[in-house]
Amino acid sequence: MSLYILSKERLPQFVKALQGKFRVVGPVETETGYAFDDITDPAQLQMDYTTTILPPKKYFLPQREVLFSYHNEKENGGPQRLEMRPVYQDVQPTVIFGVHTCDMSGIMLYDKVFSEGFRDEHYMERREQIYIIGIECLHPCDEASFCKDMGTLTAPPIYDLHMTDAGDHYFVDTGTEKGERLLLDNAYVKMAEKEDIQRLGQVLSSKWPRFRMRLKMSRDQTPSLLTLGYQAKLWQQLGERCLACASCTNVCPTCFCFDVRDENDITMQGGERVRVWDSCQLYEFALVAGEHNFRESKASRVRHRLMRKGKYIKQVHGLSGCTGCGRCERACLVNITIPGTLNALHEEMQLEPGI
Amino acid sequence: MATKPKIAFFDFTSCEGCQLTVIDLLQTHLGLLDLVEIVQFREAMSERGEDYQIAFIEGSCTRKSDEARLRRIREQAAVVVALGACAHLGGVNALKNYWPIENVQTYVYGKNGKDAYESYPARPISAVIKVDAVIPGCPIDRYEFLRIVQLLLQGRRLRLPDYPLCVECKLKENACLNTLGKPCLGPITRAGCDAICPTYGDGCEGCRGWAPEANFAYMREILRGHGLSDADIDARFTMFNHFQFQHMGEPAPVTTSLGPDKTAPLPTSAFAAPKED
Repeated sequence: MSLYILSKERLPQFVKALQGKFRVVGPVETETGYAFDDITDPAQLQMDYTTTILPPKKYFLPQREVLFSYHNEKENGGPQRLEMRPVYQDVQPTVIFGVHTCDMSGIMLYDKVFSEGFRDEHYMERREQIYIIGIECLHPCDEASFCKDMGTLTAPPIYDLHMTDAGDHYFVDTGTEKGERLLLDNAYVKMAEKEDIQRLGQVLSSKWPRFRMRLKMSRDQTPSLLTLGYQAKLWQQLGERCLACASCTNVCPTCFCFDVRDENDITMQGGERVRVWDSCQLYEFALVAGEHNFRESKASRVRHRLMRKGKYIKQVHGLSGCTGCGRCERACLVNITIPGTLNALHEEMQLEPGI
Repeated sequence: MATKPKIAFFDFTSCEGCQLTVIDLLQTHLGLLDLVEIVQFREAMSERGEDYQIAFIEGSCTRKSDEARLRRIREQAAVVVALGACAHLGGVNALKNYWPIENVQTYVYGKNGKDAYESYPARPISAVIKVDAVIPGCPIDRYEFLRIVQLLLQGRRLRLPDYPLCVECKLKENACLNTLGKPCLGPITRAGCDAICPTYGDGCEGCRGWAPEANFAYMREILRGHGLSDADIDARFTMFNHFQFQHMGEPAPVTTSLGPDKTAPLPTSAFAAPKED
């Protein structure tokens, strides 16, 4: 679409202009790093940040979400009946600033998962009101990043606006018409000219050498590698190490599994049905009727996660189940990493280098 | 509801903080009294009804004479619930089990202590009577208490979170204390407290007992990474869970001889009996 120039001095005005009309969220500094949070003062917004513990998925699928409320109604002498009222939680016009390209890839997968096949009304209601403003990654977040391997260093086509830092100004690419309107209605920008576009090309092409590759194979090879390595000894070793704490899946931008529970209120005559994040790394996840557990060992659960990330999601949804963001690696206390696991599997299977 | 189930609270060796938590809960959730009738609760009322269906027991069993009282409660109650870490695990009370009981009696009550006060190694109440449900924690989490009461009244399956505290920390987006160099037992401790201690910057001490799949070997590696000695790590592992490690029925995950040198003098404490010459 169109390319605009937003001077850095004008960014706070842009945020301020949005605040009256939208919930504005973005990366802010915390005591120990960064987190996506509500922006109450434009100065809080940190467009140049490394990574966050949780990806912005929490705005798309909240950790705890009420789906509907219920109440036992009993009219005088009449029969008892259960009244149910749908609840659409956190549905409000929202602008998310500073979404890295890996996290946009995660959101793109979410959009497919929750809209195709069974359309999730709760997700879609919220999604339709969210504007995504991406930020081009010019440096890797840290040593745990492997976005270059996973091909997520380029913005996927889901952003409304996408910003690239060019020193004293941002290039702002418009991905959607509503994004363009949002920009033109709320910010002082100018159209990019021919030399601006050349300059953007320089900024974008010069960033690649700063990112390293960590996988010993190409990402296209991971499905076949995982198929071959299904019975590898590696899984047993990882299972022994795993703490079964689910930190890897909770912080993952593509993990979307949830549990559904009923929470009664104090009267026991009503309550709420809620969905909460769940994890395939937890014992109860695969516990079914008759106390049978079809993924009882931690080894089988670690393997399942890698299968999801490197094979199954790709097969089902056509998109990678891993964005290379490195969050699971940062969160893991026993150093189980996706590149480390895939490389070790590659070694155990004695395959030729794929790249 | 025609007749409300009658419930009673009992205390054994404990600080009674779990019962205080229940009283505090009632300040905001008085509706609980529409669901149940409290017939005995020494902490909160003078009446002592002996006709109850659900008994909440706080505290560990630390005296021979506790056993008969526990059995009487068990005979009366259809459902017995262990309330808090002392009743559930033995809790910090079981730390005294490190030493010969006579030494502990003398230390706490003076040189005539063992004649004046009865005592024996602390145990969870499940070591004496059958327990139907557990509400873990030091103290309990009030909302978990409420939830368990509701499940009991509905006759539904009682379940506690079967996963480690890390889950709750991540959902709250807390920075991991272990990665910040602060020892935290969250990775091996059963969740359900909404990670209250790590949320306020204190490492988990394991008061809710171990998660079913607690990985002690790798938890030890993590704690060694903080520069803790094996003795320090054992002390952390056993603070609330000494009884569990004594009676796990499998190789204890502790590496040292479990606890402090028993021949060394007991540590000095502000609460110890004054020295008698």
